Amino acid sequence: MKQVKYSAIAIALITTLAACGGSGSNDSTPVVPDNTFSFAATEMITNLTDDVITSGYNNLAAKGETMLLATQTLVATPTQANLLAAQEAWKAARQPWEQGESHIFGPVDSLGIDPHLDSWPLNTTDLTAVLSVNSGFDPETIKGWNDDVQGFHAMEFLLFGDGVNDNQKDIAELTATERDYLMGLAGVFRDYTKVLDDAWQISHDGQVGSKPYGELVKTPGSDGNTFYSSQVGVIQELINGMIGIVDEVGNGKIADPFGTSVATTDTSKVESQYSWNSLTDFSDNIIGVRNVYQGEFTGAADKQGIIDFVTAADEVLALRVGSEIDDAIIKIKAISGSNNMPFRQAISDVDGRVRVQTAVDALTKLQASLESDVLPLLNKWKV
Amino acid sequence: MMKMYQYTNLTFAICLGLSACGGSGDEAVEPKPNEKIYPAYTNIKASGGETTTFDASESGHGFSTPAPNLSAPSLAHHLEGDLGFETAFTTAPNIEHPDLDGLGPVFNNADCNSCHQRDGRNSTPIVPADKERIKLGSEVGLFLRISKAADEACTTGSAANDYCAPIPVPNFGGQLFHRGVLKARPDWEDNLFGGQADVYLSYESKQVPYPDGHIVTLKKPVFAVENPYDAPGETLNSANLTSDILQDDVLMGWRNGMPVFGLGLLEAIPEADILALVDALDSNGDSISGKANFVFDAVKAQAGDSYPVSLGRFGWKANTPSVRVQSLGALRGDIGITNPLFPDESITGTALHDSYLTRTGFIDTGEDENGAPEASAEFSDSVVFYAETLAVPARRNIDAPDVREGARLFDQVNCTGCHKASFVTQSSGDIGGVAMIDALKGQTIYPFTDMLLHDMGEGLADGRPDFLADGNEWRTRPLWGIGLTQTVNPQAGFLHDGRAATVEEAILWHGGEALMSRDGFMALNMDERKQVIAFLMSL
Repeated sequence: MKQVKYSAIAIALITTLAACGGSGSNDSTPVVPDNTFSFAATEMITNLTDDVITSGYNNLAAKGETMLLATQTLVATPTQANLLAAQEAWKAARQPWEQGESHIFGPVDSLGIDPHLDSWPLNTTDLTAVLSVNSGFDPETIKGWNDDVQGFHAMEFLLFGDGVNDNQKDIAELTATERDYLMGLAGVFRDYTKVLDDAWQISHDGQVGSKPYGELVKTPGSDGNTFYSSQVGVIQELINGMIGIVDEVGNGKIADPFGTSVATTDTSKVESQYSWNSLTDFSDNIIGVRNVYQGEFTGAADKQGIIDFVTAADEVLALRVGSEIDDAIIKIKAISGSNNMPFRQAISDVDGRVRVQTAVDALTKLQASLESDVLPLLNKWKV
Repeated sequence: MMKMYQYTNLTFAICLGLSACGGSGDEAVEPKPNEKIYPAYTNIKASGGETTTFDASESGHGFSTPAPNLSAPSLAHHLEGDLGFETAFTTAPNIEHPDLDGLGPVFNNADCNSCHQRDGRNSTPIVPADKERIKLGSEVGLFLRISKAADEACTTGSAANDYCAPIPVPNFGGQLFHRGVLKARPDWEDNLFGGQADVYLSYESKQVPYPDGHIVTLKKPVFAVENPYDAPGETLNSANLTSDILQDDVLMGWRNGMPVFGLGLLEAIPEADILALVDALDSNGDSISGKANFVFDAVKAQAGDSYPVSLGRFGWKANTPSVRVQSLGALRGDIGITNPLFPDESITGTALHDSYLTRTGFIDTGEDENGAPEASAEFSDSVVFYAETLAVPARRNIDAPDVREGARLFDQVNCTGCHKASFVTQSSGDIGGVAMIDALKGQTIYPFTDMLLHDMGEGLADGRPDFLADGNEWRTRPLWGIGLTQTVNPQAGFLHDGRAATVEEAILWHGGEALMSRDGFMALNMDERKQVIAFLMSL
């Protein structure tokens, strides 16, 4: 179905006229220049579903398993080396999760996995109280507790400390109860990442006989597919997903703690502030956008992505958006400056704030291109 | 039926087009000889008039887009509300961010989005194959409304009978909160994050055969309330039940989160146009009555109105009069955040709240650090405005032959008897006590609801009256956007408790006044039934 963007009045009139069985006099029909384009989207949708989204969640599930093993080792043998290994496992799991935020739709949302894994801010008051009255933490019990005492950031707090002065932690600072809770949290984390992986590959809701979500995304409009009625919907989902995370990074994750001046910064709003992993989070978010745009993970063989859809309409635009994505990633990474300054420090540093603003500007530019130039292509696509 | 309105230039132009072909909203277009009659709504794509979104109307962003005709200041207000809608509240005190604290102390969810995922329905809870039931936790948007049975039905509201409001359950209230902040319960060390009681969900199923032999299995949720805070460990199987919530005369009914887009338009439908559809005695003999609910209006009460009652428009039983009352009632009720319209905690005056306050040193009294309600007027207003100004998704595939046939059959089996296709919104006036913005005025909209209560039969009944609605009655659900429900949330179900996994199942649950339409649908052949579904999925 060809989808043309009409003004509201035009739509109203056109649909009204169509109801009459006519469309006005042929003599008065305006000549509309043909700015449409063709693109066969099946390969792109299949590839993005399998090689980017599902593959990313599969990687996340593997990292979740590794994370659990690392915490089990830490509990069994609480050494500094094992704490460092658990910290690295946390960072390793963080990467596919943050990259996956460019496509937060489907089971990650409907199964409530996002808030279970990534609620922010952390409720350190309740977390402290939980640790004071409990021991021997069972993952199934933890799942019944509020999201703000579990997930990535609860594990981060226990692994790295409060992050105020450093992101180092001595094993002596990690109590046996905290280690147990960390292991319980990692168990919950592992379970949810597996549920998410299974939802895309085996059954979207965990019920026997239900189709995998990935299959439903790849077959829009098929009989009984109540998820997507058309390929337009799937591409619309993917592009809007890219816009959403670019907006969130620029106007939320960075802008909220950044404030309007040094006096209005708020480090308490910095996500991943305990581990000082914020800039890696932000750049991974936009690398996730690049994964969807390019159709493959960085360094992998070329496959079809949104760039191929855009290229079919406008090669110059396709290259420009690709450059703007790369530029945003570079500018985010550059916030750390020459002395590897963490984000929570950079927002209060005069030169750091200039670098932050440069990154925000790059994100704003990218968001504008996606919203104003890429998304409208759906209306010109001859489906 | 054509009605008289003041038109903006836009709607005037549209109406000229309609009058040119003899159509007017719900009326069928004059057919040529041997042609089938298609209702005018068959061809409508812009379900929300100028508030309709086209850029996101085929994806999971279809319910989450600001109305495209908002002015710049209105868009900024809307986006403020968007942030508020996603704000997750925390236990009090939150020293770093006191603006976020005040959650609970008992609640159903910590933010709006959890019950209205991506501004749509919440996820229907799944009971795994290896379990008989699940305990409701943080991932569930479903909750129970509760009340005490009245001695006799309330038919005329007055101050003396609290305007027919449901009677709260002593020491519990009007809504069961299955979650709590860490120390909500007196026995918190044994029930971390426990609420007023534990709620368990299971399903029972039944099969419905079509005349052509095709069988559909329907499931119905069943709840069990156990371990109440006032009698820990007690269940309905316990001897000598002591808990207030487990008494025989306590009525309960599931409530599911519902989509929040297009609500300002629904509130802007002229009251007279809704009341004109009332047919309480079924005087036209079509077996469909249509009854208006009249409910307590907190906005009027706060303004000092001597008779604070308004037409009910929102909620599964039309038990709230405005988006403002609905939204801020949910902010206080579902989340536990007091606000200027509802400044008291949801459980004020109960033994649980008294116990919580004294045990925790009065740290969460429902007031912020300045003695005002927990949510500011600015936050509250923006969240209300957000819900009023979300775009309506455009229809899809309207030219597909099956969709067109389905539109015709939808009318043929008289689904339009309750799911009235269109209205024109007011051209001026207030909604929720605040002046309407221009974007909502004079819009020709296609919500497919009459906004009235109907007896839907025993199968759907919860047996719990709510103002003038009896235990069998439910408000006609707007159908706009229904085809995007599972695009927005793949785990979403339909009806007041999410029991229907598909639109077809939802149709098959229709009984009471909708029985003839349901039977008419069931009498269609399979291809025709699919066409009706195709039409609904195009909305």
